[in-house]
Formats: sequence, C-alpha cells, structure tokens
Amino acid sequence: MRKLSIAALGITAVLALAGCATTSGDTGGAAEKGNIRVWLVGTDTPQAARDYLKTTFEKQNPGSTLAIEEQAWGGLVDKLTTSLSGSDSPDVVEVGNTQAAAFTSAGAFLDLTSDYTTLGGNDLLPGFVEAGSYNGKFYAAPLYSGARLVFYKKDALAAAGLSVPKTLAEYVSHAETLATANPGKSGIWWPGQDWYNALPYIWENGGDIASFTNGKWAAGFSSAGSITGLTEVQQVMTKASVAPKDGNETNPQVGFCDGSTLQLSAPSWVKWSILAKADAATPGCPTQEPNLGVYALPGKTGGAAAVFAGGSNIAVSAKSAHSALAKKALAIILSDGFQTIYGKNGLVPAKLSLASTLGTDDVAKAIADAAGHARLTPASPKWANVEASGVLTDFFVQIALGGDVKALAAALDTKINGMLNG
Amino acid sequence: MSSIDIAVDAVPSGTAGERLGAPSHRAPSPKRRKSGGFTPYLLLVPGSVVLAAVVGWPLIQLVIISFQQYGRAQVFGAPAPFIGFDNYLKVLSDQQFWNVLLRSFSFCVVNVVVTMALGTLIALLMTALHKFFRTLLSIGLLLAWAMPALTATIVWGWMFDTGYGVINFVLTNWFGLGYHNHSWLINPLSFFLVATIIVVWGAIPFVAFTIYAGLTQVPGEVLEAAQLDGAGTVQRFRLVVFPYLRSIFVVVIILQVIWDLRVFTQIFALQGIGGIREQTSTLGVYIYQTSLAGGEYGIGGAIAVITVIIMMAISLYYVRQSIREEEL
Amino acid sequence: MSARAGSTRKRVISVVLSVTAVIVFSAAVFPVYWMIQTSFQPNNEIQGSIVNFWPENFTLKNYQTVLFDSARSQFIPALRNSLAVTIITVVVSLIFAFLASLAVTRFRFATRKAFILTILIVQMIPGEAMIVSTYRVLDSWNLLNTIGGLSLVYIATVLPFTIWTLRGFVNGVPIDLEEAGMIDGLSRLGAFWRITFPLLAPGLVATGVFGFIQAWNEFLLALVVNSRPAMMTLPVWLRTFQVQSGTTNWAAIMAGSTLMAIPVIVFFLIVQGRMTSGLVAGAVKG
Repeated sequence: MRKLSIAALGITAVLALAGCATTSGDTGGAAEKGNIRVWLVGTDTPQAARDYLKTTFEKQNPGSTLAIEEQAWGGLVDKLTTSLSGSDSPDVVEVGNTQAAAFTSAGAFLDLTSDYTTLGGNDLLPGFVEAGSYNGKFYAAPLYSGARLVFYKKDALAAAGLSVPKTLAEYVSHAETLATANPGKSGIWWPGQDWYNALPYIWENGGDIASFTNGKWAAGFSSAGSITGLTEVQQVMTKASVAPKDGNETNPQVGFCDGSTLQLSAPSWVKWSILAKADAATPGCPTQEPNLGVYALPGKTGGAAAVFAGGSNIAVSAKSAHSALAKKALAIILSDGFQTIYGKNGLVPAKLSLASTLGTDDVAKAIADAAGHARLTPASPKWANVEASGVLTDFFVQIALGGDVKALAAALDTKINGMLNG
Repeated sequence: MSSIDIAVDAVPSGTAGERLGAPSHRAPSPKRRKSGGFTPYLLLVPGSVVLAAVVGWPLIQLVIISFQQYGRAQVFGAPAPFIGFDNYLKVLSDQQFWNVLLRSFSFCVVNVVVTMALGTLIALLMTALHKFFRTLLSIGLLLAWAMPALTATIVWGWMFDTGYGVINFVLTNWFGLGYHNHSWLINPLSFFLVATIIVVWGAIPFVAFTIYAGLTQVPGEVLEAAQLDGAGTVQRFRLVVFPYLRSIFVVVIILQVIWDLRVFTQIFALQGIGGIREQTSTLGVYIYQTSLAGGEYGIGGAIAVITVIIMMAISLYYVRQSIREEEL
Repeated sequence: MSARAGSTRKRVISVVLSVTAVIVFSAAVFPVYWMIQTSFQPNNEIQGSIVNFWPENFTLKNYQTVLFDSARSQFIPALRNSLAVTIITVVVSLIFAFLASLAVTRFRFATRKAFILTILIVQMIPGEAMIVSTYRVLDSWNLLNTIGGLSLVYIATVLPFTIWTLRGFVNGVPIDLEEAGMIDGLSRLGAFWRITFPLLAPGLVATGVFGFIQAWNEFLLALVVNSRPAMMTLPVWLRTFQVQSGTTNWAAIMAGSTLMAIPVIVFFLIVQGRMTSGLVAGAVKG
C-alpha cells in the first residue's frame, strides 16, 4: 500500500507539472463537428449518467452528436486491440483498470498529460491514475471504482453468537464457525474462480502479487507473506464454502436468497442484486432487507483491509477522428455532475472529493472504508495478458480443491514471471 | 444385451454370394475431362479471388509475424523486429504446447471414433425402422443438428451445472447417487467427457444422415443380406456394405478429423463455466489464449503454422493415395 | 425354424428397434426440450433446490426481457444482420463453389491438383490465429461493420468445404447431358447453367446447409469485425446476457437461445427432404 501510494504520488506530481508546462491545449476544436462514439462496457454505468452525457455534450457542441455503444466485458481486450488500431475506431473507450496498461503501453490512447489538471488533477483516484499512466505520461482517466464489501445475514451471525469481525483472522474463524453450525451452507460463499477476493489475504499478510525491481518483474505468490495468506484462503474455500470449487462469481444473490450463503464478499452493487424486486428480470429477495448486514473486510490488525479496487478507466483513442470533441466528452464524463450519478448508484466516483455522494448508510460507510484501502493489480503492460490467460483462475480453483499451496504458488510465479518479462 | 441376441438369430445367414460383390471403386473418369483452354481458370476466378484476399493474404501475414517479435504494441504500429525461429523454438520447447497437442489429438480421435460408430449405427437403425419411427428419429436428429454450437454448449453446460443442473438432480434424487453439487468440469477427464458428449451429440446428425443416404443407394439385396445377420454381422458390414460406402466414409472422416481437431466454441464456452484452463485447452483455444487474449501474436502465429504442418503431415497418406487413384 | 416363429421374432425385433429409435430420439431432443422449457420458467425458480421438468409457473417474461428490455433491445437488428449475412454467404458461396467445382470436375488443367490440395489445406488453418490480419484486410477495404465484410469472411471460410463436397455432386451429373445440350446449340457455359445447375439442386441444398450453419453461429469474428452494437449478429447478442461476475440471467439466455435456434430449425425443416436426397446423390454418385 505504502509503496503504491508513493508511486502514485510521484506520477501525479509529474503529471501536474506537465499539465502546467503545456498550456497550449486544442485550439481548432471550436469549429469541429462530428459524431462521437463512446464505448461503455457492461451495464454498470446507470442510464441517468448516459442520458446526462449525451444531452450535455450535444448542448455544449451544437451540430455534433454523441452515441453510446454498449460493449460486453467478454472479449473486450480482443475487440479493443482490433478496433483501436483500425480506421473505424471509437473515440472514447472504457477499459477495465487492470486491462488499461496493455493499451497505454501500446500507444492505443491519446496522450492526456496536458489535460490532467483540467480533468481533475490530484482529485482523481490516485491508484487509477497510476493504472492509466505509462512512462510518466497520462493516457486513461479514472472512470469509477467499485469497492468490495462483505454482505452477511444478521440472523445467522446472531444465532452463532458472533459479532462483526474486527480482524481478518476473526473473519476467517467466524466463517468456519458459521459453516460448522450450519452444515451445507457457506460461512463465506467463495467460488474457486473468484481470485479478486483472495488478494486482501495476500496483501494483509505482507505479500504482493508482483513487484518491479531492477527492470524486471518478480511475481510474489510464493513469498512467505503470500503463502500465509493463501493458506487462509484455502482454509476458507475448503472448510467454509459450499460454492462450486471451479465456479465463477456470477449470481451471488442466488445463494443469499435461498439461504445457503450466510456471508459473501462482493462488489458493492451486489446489494441491489440481492434486493431486486420479485418482478425484476433477475429477481432477488427484497424481504431480506432488514436481515442484510454489510461491513468492510477487516485487516490483519484491525481497520479495513486492503481490498482489490475493481473499476474502469476511460480514454480517448489515438485514432479518434475528432480528438478535440472526444476530449470534451471526456471532460463531461469526469465532471462533478456526471460522477455524482455514480456515487448515488453505489459506485465510487473518480474523484476523491465526491466520496460524500455515496450517502451515509451502512453500505456507504463500508464503501468509504474499503475504498480508502483499495489496491490494484501490478501496473505492468503485460498484466492484462496474465489475467486473460486464466492462470490466476486456474490457480485459485486448484487452491479451492485443496492443492499444495507452496508448490502451486511457486509454479504460478514461474508462469507469471515468464509472461510479465517475456 | 438381449436386443443384440435377438437381432443376431433373427435373420437367416448365408445369402447368395455373387451379387454381393462390392462395386469396383468408381473414381470419376478422368479421361472424359476436357482441356478447355482458359475456361477452367475463368471458372476458378471468383472463388480464388475471395480465398486469396480473405484467407491467402492474412495467411501470408500470419507466417511473416510468426518470425517476428509481434505483440500488442506492434498491432498499434511499433516496429516488429525479425527474430528468426525464436517463436518456433519457444513453442516447441514449451511442455504446455505438447500437452495441448496430445490432448487435442486424443480428443479428436475419441470424438471421431465415437461419432462415426454411433452415427453408423443410427444410420443402420434408420434403414431398419418403419416409416413413422424413421421420421421421428430424423426429426430428433434434425433438431439436434439445428442447434448452434454456442447455444448447445450453453444448454449442456446448464444441464451439467454444479448447483442447479438437471443431471446432478436426477442422479441424486432418482438414483440416490452422491452427485449433489458434483462438479463435472473440474476433473479434466470429466471435462472432456462433457465436451465429448456435446461435440458428438452435435456431429452425429450429419454423420448419420450422410451414411443413411449412402445406405439407401446400396442395392437392397446387399443390405438385406448384411443386415442383422448371423455371427458375423460386423464382418459382413465391413466386407459387403462398407465397400459401397468407402468414399463416403473417407470424406466424412476427413471432415470430422479437421473439425474435431479445430474444436473451439465448445471448449472455450465450457471453460467459461468451469474447469481448469491449463488442463483442458485444445489447440484452437490455446492459440486464441496465446495470440488474442495474451497479446503474443508472433507466438500464436508460430503455433498455427506448426499445427497446419502437422495436420498436413497426417493427411499426407490420404492425399497421396487419392492422387494415385485419380480421386481428387 | 418355422415361419410363425420367424414372424414373431421379426415383430420383437421391430419393437426393439422402435424402442431404440425412441431412446435415440429422446437423447437427441432432450437438450432442445430443456432449453425451451427453461426459457418459460421464472429466473429465480430455475436456480432452486428443486429442478422442474415442466414450467410450473409458466411465464413469457424471459422473452419480454430479451426482446424488449430497453438496455439490450438489439434482437431485431441482430436478427436482421444475421439473416442478411447468412443469406449472402449461402448464395454467393454456392455460386462460386459451383463454378469452381465445374472447373475441377469437367476440365483438365495444369493447376488442378494444386487447387484441390490448397482447398484441403485451407480448411486446416486455425482461424483463431488470423483474426487480427483478417480484421486488417477488411479495414483496408472499409468493410468493417458492414454486412458485406462479414459475409465475405464467411464465404471464404465455407468456400473450401463447399467446393470440396460439391465436386461429388457435379460428378454425379452425366457429362452426356451437357454434351447433348451443346449439340442442341448451347454454349459450354450455357450447358452448365441450363442443364447441370438445375440438376444440382439437391446437392446445392445439402452443401448450402454448412454455409448456413457457419454464418449463423460464428461468434469470434463477428464480435471483433462488427464491433458496433447496431451491426452485431445473434451469437454476439446472445453473449451479452452472459457475464463473468454479477447476475447472469440464465432463463433469459435460454429464451435468447431458443429464439436463435428457431430460424435454423425452420430452415432445416423446409430443406429436410431435399437435403436427404441431395446427400444421397452427392455421396454415392461421387
């Protein structure tokens, strides 16, 4: 965490300087007219925000239009690779924060260094600024972040005589107690492919995914700290979870609603999946609302744990035919008006100053706690390849199956080193 | 078992011999082909242009980048240095590649054999059925054939689902077996069992229909003689009916081999549902993971080239045979 | 063995075979049935401890979701795109394949064997490796996000197979017929067109089916090449309902799958008779 903050701080400082130095900006933009295509991925961005973007842009730029093209997360990296390098490139694109480095390093995005200050400067989420920067230049701005929270059934915890855990160790032991007291149910629902949830265990125990020293990446899954964390992960997966060992984290609300999941760690919006009305396309169980509790994952020594910050960055394609207009669209996306809509919908806005828009309920408090300690995956241009190759999901499925943690971690490190340095 | 027994003594054995002789192999008579001057080339123009543009040109590029250091940055215009056979050496010295290759070939062999065997049996069954049941069976096969591979995999995946699948439900609740929350995809062998079911299920209709169509062309008395006969049913089929269908079998088997070796959709979609990728990837999926997902286009190109060379080597026997027999 | 015993045996066999046929039929149809019946169940009931073999609470909601849900109401455009791409692919590939198969079956020429070998080899190339280069080719002709561009790629994909199989059918049409036509004053090409082509109808149907299946089902290229949502095809549309994390609406996916399978089933039912007779002709006379 500390190391990352310093790195992020360094980058933001450089960018702030750069922003001051180059004040030229775009001049020919006033007369330019065109149709701007914006790729938003998945359904995370609320409809209200989409409408806001379109109407605001078209009001500010008479004669120009803005079209939002919704893309799916599946195959996104393939699609971005081809589309951004072709002549039919979209102008503004959303990209997962862990995928951003693959494109910033490849020259797919327009250099936004000179716009850094106007887009929000040091108010932008630092970890995401780092994810969107490469070689001291700023390419992809933060879009939003989603915090991971622990949802639990209040009655189940009470029946077992437990209270909200204060430390990670307590969290793990609670999960086992719950699972033992309720056979066939998950003390923590944890399908094997869900590796994002395992990262806090590594970080809290002093481990790291990968670090960059002397010009080389070194994966850290087999370090002593990581092994301690991974052993805890295995303990939870094998003893406290009845989720499929090779399943993915889709539909977390189902187990919660049918009663087989007593606790689960998931992105904050899962609250809305659980509470979805009976006539929704994917119904939840709104009657459970009074019984639904939430807290931020506790750290090793108390307080909130360092959790993985999922989320997205947003960038302008280097091949955009209307880059000045595209930058204007980007400015609207990072404006307070647009970002506030994220906050109201339970997603962490791209700006630190807008954290208050999340509200003041339990979920908001938990989000604020978690977001303050959020961390990201290694900022290597090849990290996206590691994720796409599936070695991480494979690894955690094998952990869930009770495999030898040390041997598996050593093998994983070898593979990741090969990919990051290859 | 009993059905076979009944079938076996059902039809008297020993039908007359001379009419059953297999036809001499009928190759299209090359003597009658005309030289035709420019006409044949003219006829080939449309197809060749499309193939050259959409397959040929990308193929040349593929071969070129397989000798280059070509990653995602090169897609965006960074210079791509030539590195000789480095990509090839990397692939050939990677144990993972050989595992994938072996896996793909084993999968292919098993699937082709199972598909051909079941397809042939169903075709034979169709010849022996009354019209009503034959139509019923045809409709069933037609429906299975019409299911898109992606859709089929999603549906089968859903039926084999760990938590909510009908297969686990039936095995647990009807047969009292311990399949509650059983994961079918986690063990590689079990994963390929499911994949085989999906692939074979989807491929049987084509095979069965084609062979059935061929069987209807075999003279009735030949078929009758060979059908469901005494102890040597299999042998009779091999010696009497098969020669008529030889060319059909060859074509169908070649197509099945090519398709099963390149299987992509079913494996790719199943991996998204469960299982361990490293232990279940086949060639197509491995190439996809390396080049598109992993951004190593040069290495992906090398794998593709190696794959094609291996496939060519395998089909060499058939090709030489065909050229000798003027079958092409 | 008495005649009577024989006829009893025959009846037993016939029953056994019929039963086998019903079993095979069930195995073939069950997944289709399962897809359809799941699509009529409420989403929260298909993920419960009880598995329903029949929709207890019949609902059309899933169809409403996939067809009219405002966020993803792309079914109609996707259907239109898929139909257009499929029809173009089938028609064009059949015409081109017909011409090429005439060349290789009716004429002697220097590159004949080389051409046939090339066609065989082309089918072995793993298409997944060529996606980026294919994308580049289409881009250079401004064919990205067009029906024509995607059709062109599919035509190239199915052409080798189509030529390969159509050869057998063309061989089945006796050359004498063409020659008779030429005596009656037709040119050689005229004879091909007026005499051979109509006789090939069953063969064309049988081979056209493969172009149909390919163009209708292909996912990866369609995803990459037609990246604009307005240009997506049905398989890509179907994938938008399946997400890695979050809420996957299984019932809606089954409804979408059913919708996607219906046109194929209809097509197959229409051509079924011709397909079988076509396969007969091509397979044996070849």
